[in-house]
Amino acid sequence: MAECCAESGYGETTVEAVLDRAGVEPESFESHFADKEDCALAALNKIVSETLAQLSMAHPLADDVVARRKFEVKAILELMAAQQPFAWLVYIESRQGGTPRMHDSYESAARVLALMMERAGDPAGSRSGIARAALGGAEAVVRRELAAGRAERLPQLLPDFVYAALVPFVGQREALRQAKQAARVAAEEE
Amino acid sequence: MDVQQRETLLRAMLDELALAGYRETSVDRALAAAGVSVEEFEREFRDKDDCLFAAYDQLTAQVVARASAECGGGEPWPDRIRKGLEALLDELAAQPQMARALTRSFPGIRPAAYDRYVELLARFVPFMREGRAYSEVDEELPGEVELLAVGAAEAIIFGEVDAGRAERLPQMLPEILFSVLVPFMGPDRAADEMRSAAMSN
Repeated sequence: MAECCAESGYGETTVEAVLDRAGVEPESFESHFADKEDCALAALNKIVSETLAQLSMAHPLADDVVARRKFEVKAILELMAAQQPFAWLVYIESRQGGTPRMHDSYESAARVLALMMERAGDPAGSRSGIARAALGGAEAVVRRELAAGRAERLPQLLPDFVYAALVPFVGQREALRQAKQAARVAAEEE
Repeated sequence: MDVQQRETLLRAMLDELALAGYRETSVDRALAAAGVSVEEFEREFRDKDDCLFAAYDQLTAQVVARASAECGGGEPWPDRIRKGLEALLDELAAQPQMARALTRSFPGIRPAAYDRYVELLARFVPFMREGRAYSEVDEELPGEVELLAVGAAEAIIFGEVDAGRAERLPQMLPEILFSVLVPFMGPDRAADEMRSAAMSN
């Protein structure tokens, strides 16, 4: 389903095309899913669940919230790089191309991420709109890379995303310092 | 068809798209609204998609031209960005259906249509570059800072249009301006610009 959506868009994806690609019989599909939307929602839930699992394992011993968020963003970018069709489904189809239920799923996930960023940069939690806008900036870069078929580049953009997430709250100097640290963390682990 | 009919037809197609969705978009209804015959349509466009893509290209050209007209001149960069944003938000607020077609209905058709949306955002990136000169630190800002700023504005605009509140966009100018300026100027100076915009808004 995710691969078909990434190639043709949700609107033009047919159940038949999904079955052909997966080598699955219609009876088997019908025993698991009510329809195309149900299958797409299951695909969305799969990647959201994997993301949450990655986040929980990202770096539990990091001692401050900013450090934890850096590892969490890194984990998300690596997952999206490894699962490009699912990333397309989450970041593009469910936001702009899918059904209202898919859109609700996207909105819920985006709200959770914005809350994470807000808590990292603004412990008082007084500026949620700003966190959401900063997240939107990062997502615009993610979507450009996905549209260009360059999802494998996403982990390299970690420093830029760390800067965007922190600069409204801690200022340019500290955001740049954190971005450089993120670049070192990424380089050390490669 | 004459220029006026073509313009009306392209608008009618985007109205159809925003109101009915891609599958239900009816060329026949758009032709009726524009007073254009099927034969005239077929002379100009291969099919529904050809017409929709032409309509989207025309709309994006108008939106970018409207915003960029305000970004020229000799005023300081933050003032020009404010004026460009103001023009953009006024344009979108005045045409909620066009705003929806621009941000949601058309990009969602299929990946080739989404590419046009990515290109639209990229067209705002050059207006941001001058902001690097306003940084409060000597170090180079991240390579993607321009698109991060454009994407921050897009996120707020998309949220309002998607919620059916496009007419509220002009009131959100101060918040959007802050989100665009903050990666370049830091939060204190971006907040000054935001307060100034709020007072004159």
